[in-house]
Amino acid sequence: MTSRERVLAAIDGQPVDRLPLMPITMMYAADLGGVSYGQYARDHRCLVEAQLRTAEAFDFDYVSAISDPAREASDLGAEVEWFDNQPPAIIESRALLSDKSALKRLQLPDPHAAGSRMGDRVSAVALLAVRAGGDKIVEGWVEGPCAMAADLRGLNTLMLDFHDDEAFVTDLFEFAVAMELAFAKAQLQAGATLIGVGDAAASLVGPRTYQRYVFPYEQKLIDGLRALGARVRLHICGNTRKIVDGMGRLGCDIVDLDFLTPMAEARAAMGGRQVLLGNLDPVRVLRDGSPAGITQALEECWKAAGPRYIVGAGCEVPRGTPEANLRAMTEFARRTV
Amino acid sequence: MPELQGLYDAVVNGDQKAAVRLTKEGLDAGVEPMELLSSYMIPAMDEVGRRFECEDYFVPELLLAARAMKGAMELIRPLLTASGAQPAGRVAIGTVKGDLHDIGKNLVASMLEGGGFDVLDLGADVAPEKFVDAVENKKVDLICLSALLTVTMPSMRTTIEALERAGVRDKVKVIVGGAPVTEQFAKDIRADGYGENANSAVALARKLVMAARAA
Ligand code: B12
Repeated sequence: MTSRERVLAAIDGQPVDRLPLMPITMMYAADLGGVSYGQYARDHRCLVEAQLRTAEAFDFDYVSAISDPAREASDLGAEVEWFDNQPPAIIESRALLSDKSALKRLQLPDPHAAGSRMGDRVSAVALLAVRAGGDKIVEGWVEGPCAMAADLRGLNTLMLDFHDDEAFVTDLFEFAVAMELAFAKAQLQAGATLIGVGDAAASLVGPRTYQRYVFPYEQKLIDGLRALGARVRLHICGNTRKIVDGMGRLGCDIVDLDFLTPMAEARAAMGGRQVLLGNLDPVRVLRDGSPAGITQALEECWKAAGPRYIVGAGCEVPRGTPEANLRAMTEFARRTV
Repeated sequence: MPELQGLYDAVVNGDQKAAVRLTKEGLDAGVEPMELLSSYMIPAMDEVGRRFECEDYFVPELLLAARAMKGAMELIRPLLTASGAQPAGRVAIGTVKGDLHDIGKNLVASMLEGGGFDVLDLGADVAPEKFVDAVENKKVDLICLSALLTVTMPSMRTTIEALERAGVRDKVKVIVGGAPVTEQFAKDIRADGYGENANSAVALARKLVMAARAA
């Protein structure tokens, strides 16, 4: 089986020759590719070379254009702080929507615009598709509605908005979904098969707010992605124990789990059909642990998840993870059917 | 006599308007500011912290409660200062250099304020010199350092070393916290304590400041 066939078969519940392997790499990939993280996030050619090299070195079944949450916000005009060797960050104290009325004036950005950060991601997807699309899954990436709203409004402020201004929150989430659908469409047209949706902020809000505000817009986004023909991967890092049942009802092809959410608990909440990915503790087990410990932890994940399982960590593979540790993941996936 | 139990409820429920109104009514009726703080608001924030710990409350509920308390504190603080009442202690808090995660830090700051501390919030991505400055010029009793990234945990060590180099380490207690931080790490970098969550941060802060004052 090619990598691509393997992942698609796993998603569709068909037999596979071994477990698919899809850990998220960003800073790790940049380091391996010999570029600073600033270059990785700014220049799609650096990202693509680093992704290809990492996927090649560890036999990953996919390559991804994920890099940082600030692409959409940057193109909308948010103030972003750049670091030489760290992901760019959005400055919350000067959030684009610190004045709520600015939302009405926001225009949907053109995801193809020359020189834009969204356009750079679309270019990354296009180049990844040319270079690896025959064999591997090419993953595009968008922000989920809660994460995107937090990027524009400031996470701390958004948490209060849920209580204070329902109409504003729903308008903001509507805007986020419309923007991300257009962004995803551009990435799909450029050759992505899978779209990852990152909605980490959703792990902070608790079940009531999740059901009331976040779930309906995640649903809208994911339905829209599926209508565009995308396969969808949901990534909510953090503690999602109180919202996993909702996450399981969204109809995603793959749901990632962070280490704070026990695999067995998620499996019980989501039923047997949901493909689950994860959920090694990225720092304590993957980076700081031993190859033997990693193998054992993956055995446990796999046992708890059952056959509909993809090998990965709870979140990004941390910078500084020893090669032998990542290799242990690869070996585990290779020999497990 | 106004129904002061309502003040407790207003803080627990994150209802800022009610908290401010009830505080005003209480003060107008001649209730001591300290009484409002220690019998109603501090117990309310304790309850909020408890609910957060047992995953009944989440970040939005916590931030709402903190805002309600802040609103009431604005009425009470000037009166406390005028009456010469001592705060539980003066605290400088911040997320360490290189780290932009501030939700946990904000929660700890609010709970400390709710616990009667005078809190100087230095923000996120705070350089060691700023903490040194807070000890030298703002007379803080306690420094709270937060880090959410493994790669910024060493900044906690750097901050403590900066306090040592400036010769002010023995004038202040330092506690550390944040998801990747451990008790052992706190010991290794010679911090005075580690707190797992916002509630334990308050308990620890009270204990350390009290011990320092007794000494
Ligand atoms: C929200 C979030 C963000 C937001 C932060 C927004 C903000 N304004 O804070 C954004 C999107 C900006 C972000 C960016 C990044 N993030 Co982030 N983020 C998170 C997330 C989802 C939640 C953190 C949070 O707020 N938790 C809720 C609060 C309430 O919990 P807490 O902070 O732990 O605080 C509690 C206790 O620890 C304690 N406490 C905290 N401080 C203190 C201090 C003292 C003195 C005491 C006593 C107690 C105490 O009390 C608090 C209340 O109980 C976590 C995932 C997770 N599982 O935690 C990742 C996470 C922290 N992020 C991570 C990473 C890697 C990053 C990025 C590098 C990602 C990237 N590649 O772009 C960047 C780095 C940016 C930077 N330079 O800081 C990793 C860190 C891994 C590691 N151990 O190093 C995590 C764990 C995700 C993961 N699973 O890999 N992130």
